[in-house]
Amino acid sequence: MSEDRAAELFARLKDGVINYDEEAVVAAAKEVLAEGIDAGKAVFEGLVAGMEEVGRLYEEQEYFVPELLMCADALYAGLDVLKPHMEKKDLGVTGVVVMGVVQGDVHDIGKNIVKMMFDVAGFTVYDLGRDVPLEKFVEEQLRTDSDLVCLSAMMTTTMVGMKDIIRKIKEKNPKCKIMIGGAPVSEEIAEKFGADGYAKDASNALKDAINMLATLRKLQQESA
Amino acid sequence: MEHTVIFQPSGRRGAVKEGLSLLEAARELGVDIEAPCGGARVCGKCKVKIEEGFFEKFGIESRAGHLSPVLEEEKDFLTAKELADNYRLGCCAYLQGDVLLFVPEESRGAKQVIRKAVRERPFELDPAVRTYCLQLQPATLQDQTDDYARIQSALAEQYGLPAGLAIDYPVLQNLPETVRSGNWQVTVAVWNDREIIWVAPGQNEDCWGLAVDVGTTTVAAYLCNLRSGGAPYISSLMNPQVRYGEDVLSRITYAMMNEDGLKKMNTAIIEAINSLAAKLAESVGITTAEILDMSIVFNTAMHHILLNIDPKYMGRAPFAPAFKSSMDIKARDLGLQIAGSAYVHVLPVEAGFVGPDNVGVLIAEEPYKQDSMMLLIDIGTNGEIDFGNREQLLSTSCATGPALEGAQIKFGMRAAPGAIETVRIDPQTKEPLIKTIGKEDWYKDGDEPAAIGICGSGIIDVIAEMFKAGVISSSGRFNQKTASPRVRKSEDGKMEYVLCYARDTAIGKDITVTQGDVRAVQLAKAALYVGAEYLMEKRGAPKPDSIVLAGAFGSYINKESAMVMGMIPDCDLDRVQAVGNAAGDGARLALLSRSKRREAEQVARAVEFVETAIEPDFQTRFAAAMAFPHSRHSFPHIQHILDKIPKE
Repeated sequence: MSEDRAAELFARLKDGVINYDEEAVVAAAKEVLAEGIDAGKAVFEGLVAGMEEVGRLYEEQEYFVPELLMCADALYAGLDVLKPHMEKKDLGVTGVVVMGVVQGDVHDIGKNIVKMMFDVAGFTVYDLGRDVPLEKFVEEQLRTDSDLVCLSAMMTTTMVGMKDIIRKIKEKNPKCKIMIGGAPVSEEIAEKFGADGYAKDASNALKDAINMLATLRKLQQESA
Repeated sequence: MEHTVIFQPSGRRGAVKEGLSLLEAARELGVDIEAPCGGARVCGKCKVKIEEGFFEKFGIESRAGHLSPVLEEEKDFLTAKELADNYRLGCCAYLQGDVLLFVPEESRGAKQVIRKAVRERPFELDPAVRTYCLQLQPATLQDQTDDYARIQSALAEQYGLPAGLAIDYPVLQNLPETVRSGNWQVTVAVWNDREIIWVAPGQNEDCWGLAVDVGTTTVAAYLCNLRSGGAPYISSLMNPQVRYGEDVLSRITYAMMNEDGLKKMNTAIIEAINSLAAKLAESVGITTAEILDMSIVFNTAMHHILLNIDPKYMGRAPFAPAFKSSMDIKARDLGLQIAGSAYVHVLPVEAGFVGPDNVGVLIAEEPYKQDSMMLLIDIGTNGEIDFGNREQLLSTSCATGPALEGAQIKFGMRAAPGAIETVRIDPQTKEPLIKTIGKEDWYKDGDEPAAIGICGSGIIDVIAEMFKAGVISSSGRFNQKTASPRVRKSEDGKMEYVLCYARDTAIGKDITVTQGDVRAVQLAKAALYVGAEYLMEKRGAPKPDSIVLAGAFGSYINKESAMVMGMIPDCDLDRVQAVGNAAGDGARLALLSRSKRREAEQVARAVEFVETAIEPDFQTRFAAAMAFPHSRHSFPHIQHILDKIPKE
């Protein structure tokens, strides 16, 4: 099996994601497995690379929420095929993340998009859903010993609840990183609330997540 | 070094270089502040107020100390109270840090056109407050009956009112003098056939009441003659709470995060209503003490803040209000300066975010008296939707954001002279025709350029026209191959359509519609559409028989444009009607008719609220509704228009 063949399949995975063509993605993914090509590599160089391009198109306002969601469907379709065949590699990141939309808020499209990126990256994601009580985040962080907690809020009124969550988590586990996001969140807010990072909106969250993935991918390529 | 400067109520914001004056900052950010002297510190017109505190929504800490110290010149123009309240002159205060400023009405250059006209609606005149002229028997040594009892029995004998009516204590304080100064002739106001709330000497023909519609952005007041029920006197101003936050949520946050936040916002709105009352009273030649009744509609957050009730729990799911039923409260308890014993009738809340303003819309439009299925959409910063008929009515609310009102749009502005309000685009040449507020005709070459921005109705028009002309596709994406110099890439590499070249504007730069603007409108219109879709589905009706567009700017929306972009579902366009500020009309009806107050109470209880955002397939439907007009649904009534859209 040639390098060219692998590259061709990766390109098909990538294009399938960009063109939100679920069938094409599934077909290419099956060929990847049938021809014994590394599933992990296919995920990162095919699916994730496609999602990176989607992120760029979103950033440039060429793509919008509907396209993003359709691309996500294509991505998940490919992931369903490939993920069971991925080898678990230790990249020095335990890759456990707890995420949810804070109490009083039920808007979760942004969180769902960010979650998808973590799924793709091979993180173990504990999605607590929406309208999540503050204590639940603290409990889940302790229970899962996650490296990262992601909090999302769409409304300024619920955003202010993040401050307490961050304080409580940091009290119990100072090493845990906390990322906050959602329409009303800003860098100043993140700083004021004591968060480690922030994503301004779905687009930024996606970009941040993609940056993380890109770094991850580089690490993986180097270790390979 | 640059600092963030935010101007309210326009909401204009941006990074401004340290050391510039606030007046210069205003010019840079396109905020029109009165400065007839051109910043020479001699006219004192450019007064602005610095709001202190941390503003979560913008992430800035605004302090009066973030400006250069007060100059001697300013002390000539600002009163001690103004100085203490952090008022400054824009030309004298130089930037040293982040600030949020409020530009008072009198300092604003372009005066806003507030469109809160009234619509004539049939109703039965039966106000809660009626006045009665009484001729009393003078007290004599033989008849020592007290003044109050004399009035009570005269009301019962001469007008058939129930015997032994109650009286509000402050009325008693002046009673002896009032009765005698009119030579035993008095005019008595009775509230709800239950309580005497006002007594004046002599015969008073007129009886006045005030209906108030407190919107998030605009406050409108209607002074009505309760005796004749005739056309009201109208006055309106911007809601002064805008300085604490543009939308409902940021105001609730302000109340949560600042100890005196609720009090500040409460004082601001009470003062605003008092000033409207004073202005209207003056215009008909009465004093505010002769305004004998008041009715108010508002959204639930404005409702809580005006009544001095903590709005905190209104800001988060499950959005439970403190109380829902209608309420009669003494005006004096709220600090409202009308007749000392008058009541304020607060219309009932439907559910969470669906407030008394929507109840006002319902009692004005009366879908509960009809067999046909009516879809009612009240468009504001928050959209409220009702659907149904006499058998069952459903309601929901959706976060449309301010895009449809001109905010969050690159060249968006409120409805004021110079705002582009109507647009047509030639599908072949892609050349636009525009009409601005304050002008009768389409703008043509040779006219004096007047355009300074685009208001809500203009935005709906321009997006629909861009779609019809093939400038943007059904997905909202710009068609990059459009053969027109007007479709271009902006400096940041994003697509835009030039609606107005700099030479045709009054601001010296191109007025454009950006890809980001299209996206903001897509989010807003999809939210409205999906809300309506869920209600129709739950009500088991595939299509509305009629559609009513309410809201202050609702009357100016081109209904065809609204349907072409898929803001409203398919319907016979002849049965789509824009009714203007129906909420304000509802407040007026409640003031003039007790049966309307009863209807309001009944309908508020009967309407079933549907929370659409938590529906499992909301995300999918929301995405499908973002396309123009929709990615799956058909629009037979405008298919002929869609068929004409140029294909690539």
